Amino acid sequence: MKVLLKHTLLASVVAVTTAAQAEVNIVSWGGAYTASQQKAYQDTYKDPGSINFINYNGGLGEVRTQVESGNVTWDIVDVLPHEGRVGCDEGLFEELDRSRFAPAPDGTPMDDDIMVELPNDCVVPQIFWSYVPFYKAGTFKDAQPTTIADFFNVKKFPGKRGIHTWPNALIEMALLADGVAVKDVYKVMSTPEGIDRAFMMLDKIKDHAVFWSSGAKPLELVQSGEVSMALAYNGRIGAAILSEDAPFVTVWDGQVLEEEWLGMMKGAPNKEAAMDFLIHASTTQSQAEQAKYINYGPMRASAFEIIKKGEPWFHNGKNIMEHMPNRPEVMPRSVVASPEWWADYGDSVGERYTAWMGQ
Amino acid sequence: MSTAPATVDGPLLTADGVPLKESLQISLRRSKMRALLLVLPPLLFLIFLFVIPIGNMLTRSVDDNLINDVLPNTFAAFETWDKKSEPTEAMFEAFYKDLRDADRTDIGKASVRMNYANPGWRSLIKRTARKIDKMEPPYKEAFLKADDRWLDQDFWRSLGIMKDRVTFGYYLNAVDLDYDYDKNIIQQDEERKVYNLLWWRTIKVSIIVTIACLLLAYPVSYLLATLPMRIANLLMICVLMPFWTSLLVRIVAWMIMLQQNGVVNDTLVAAGVLSDENRLSMMYNFNGTIIVMTQILLPFMILPIYSVMKTIPPSYMKAAQNLGATPTLAFIRVYMPQTIPGIGAGCILVFIVAIGYYITPELVGGKDGRLIGNMVAYHMQRSLNWGLAAAMGTILLCVILVFYWVYDKIIGIDNMKMG
Repeated sequence: MKVLLKHTLLASVVAVTTAAQAEVNIVSWGGAYTASQQKAYQDTYKDPGSINFINYNGGLGEVRTQVESGNVTWDIVDVLPHEGRVGCDEGLFEELDRSRFAPAPDGTPMDDDIMVELPNDCVVPQIFWSYVPFYKAGTFKDAQPTTIADFFNVKKFPGKRGIHTWPNALIEMALLADGVAVKDVYKVMSTPEGIDRAFMMLDKIKDHAVFWSSGAKPLELVQSGEVSMALAYNGRIGAAILSEDAPFVTVWDGQVLEEEWLGMMKGAPNKEAAMDFLIHASTTQSQAEQAKYINYGPMRASAFEIIKKGEPWFHNGKNIMEHMPNRPEVMPRSVVASPEWWADYGDSVGERYTAWMGQ
Repeated sequence: MSTAPATVDGPLLTADGVPLKESLQISLRRSKMRALLLVLPPLLFLIFLFVIPIGNMLTRSVDDNLINDVLPNTFAAFETWDKKSEPTEAMFEAFYKDLRDADRTDIGKASVRMNYANPGWRSLIKRTARKIDKMEPPYKEAFLKADDRWLDQDFWRSLGIMKDRVTFGYYLNAVDLDYDYDKNIIQQDEERKVYNLLWWRTIKVSIIVTIACLLLAYPVSYLLATLPMRIANLLMICVLMPFWTSLLVRIVAWMIMLQQNGVVNDTLVAAGVLSDENRLSMMYNFNGTIIVMTQILLPFMILPIYSVMKTIPPSYMKAAQNLGATPTLAFIRVYMPQTIPGIGAGCILVFIVAIGYYITPELVGGKDGRLIGNMVAYHMQRSLNWGLAAAMGTILLCVILVFYWVYDKIIGIDNMKMG
């Protein structure tokens, strides 16, 4: 009996350790977004059981803690544009062998297939998402808001405005609403007068602002009538419209697009398996597959071709292209956020914005 | 020195021939070792979880070593510059050498640090470092070709802020001050001043919450301590139930109650007390933070006060009234002074927890309910300015120690009773 017990114990220990070894820990944002990654990447992977998704709240705090303490338990992290760059600069992410990634069906190498310039060799393309204004159908009686200027116009469109507690995208939107051309936004923002101008625009909605810091909040605020319009992540609005038939209307004007990348932790415990999964997750097919479950735009241009041909592409039989933030029709009135600008001025503008909120 | 009695030759010996003194020392040492072994686990626990992290935090808040290790030549060349004329070729050459020799990730970290001194350093260094391998003298031209901002003297002059290995810049930033390029202390730009406001608000919120908790907890504790056991137990469960419920659940419950279209407002409007346009704003502002924090921290006040009240014999009150005091006077002069240890413990507990609070303000604080804890979390997780976060953490620690000291002076820490 004792011997038997010993053997089973030993066997279970071995089983546990091998299982732990084979597992790739991928850290992402949770909710519908992680679900879409699980369906598009994990379920289509050759060994779905080896992939383990973990939720986090973003930022490089935990990443830096793990790398600095040498106790790395994560393998892959889903990061924002700024983090993708800082993480690589600070050596928190591994530089990857770009030749191993799969080219597009027409043979274009992956890095040339990405819709923005590749910032460094650490990051692997994921999706585009955006900050975009929206409202509930029926909120406004006569004229409906159609431009970003309408969002800042509380006289024409009365009611409170839901905005987030950090300045990203708001500065860009304020300038667009003030008549700055899309291509000049960052030029204007790089001057002190430009920032003043943005804050003057923000002042117009200040007394009507309700602040949110978690992605589900703006939808609640608009749904409950607490605010008449809000900025939100386009994926959240799309999910409510596509899956729950919510009566939301997105204003596709003056949105600010942000990149989303995957990076591999420096000293990741399962480097080779993680690389293999990254290659799988970044193929054109995987990227298109993800759009079946969430309306974030694939970063690889070639994935759009598959989606367009496959419409209605969304998993419940609805068209997805009209909810994609980076579809060609809306790009002329969209700003792609400049992580470089935010890396330089994010701290100082962030402080000013916090002070502005608290005044 | 041995001071053995004169009648014995040499020192006193034990049965096995070892001098008594030595043998005594050995056995003493042994019991000391044993005692040390016994306290070792909590000692190690303290060292690893308190001493090292707090020491780490203290050093981070003043540490400016990295940049000096990465740019030694640059700082040497900077010292020879008159800070008025155009940057010299020697300075560019020194910068070139430093960028060439340094580890790429160290350059990345240094540029993040430099960006705090003058926004723009980050992209400037990055663009230049990308071309560093192909650069040839004269370096001034090569640098200007990489980025024309290199002529901007503000960048060069900002090196003056970082040239020492120990900096108090983070502490200055944490109280809305800053260094100018010559390391004189100046006021932070008016529109970037946030922290002083948040410090005062944090202390204000902590004090208001502590007082509110005390006012609510005192009668409840009194009831708990004086009611018959059966009812008191039921009441105790009512106190403890929320304590056991998840923090988030309680916060969300408050949101549902207090928001503009929430239960309270709806009821008031339906009852005709309020008109539909004048709904009260009780959530996502300062009030929301106070209300929710008070409810969440209330048990921390009730429990210590209750445990002290429980030990006060009811006969004291009777005796006081027998001696001619009115019930009010007896309560104030006899009962209340005896509850002070509990009040003190409760107030200290609530205040210390409140001053570092950030989850509740984050969720219900909106724009004017955010506290300093939120900024610490922001700088730890988002901006990665750990130096500034560490400086704010250290200041928080000092504030708590000051309050603790004041408490000790006024009431005496020996009087505190946690339960």
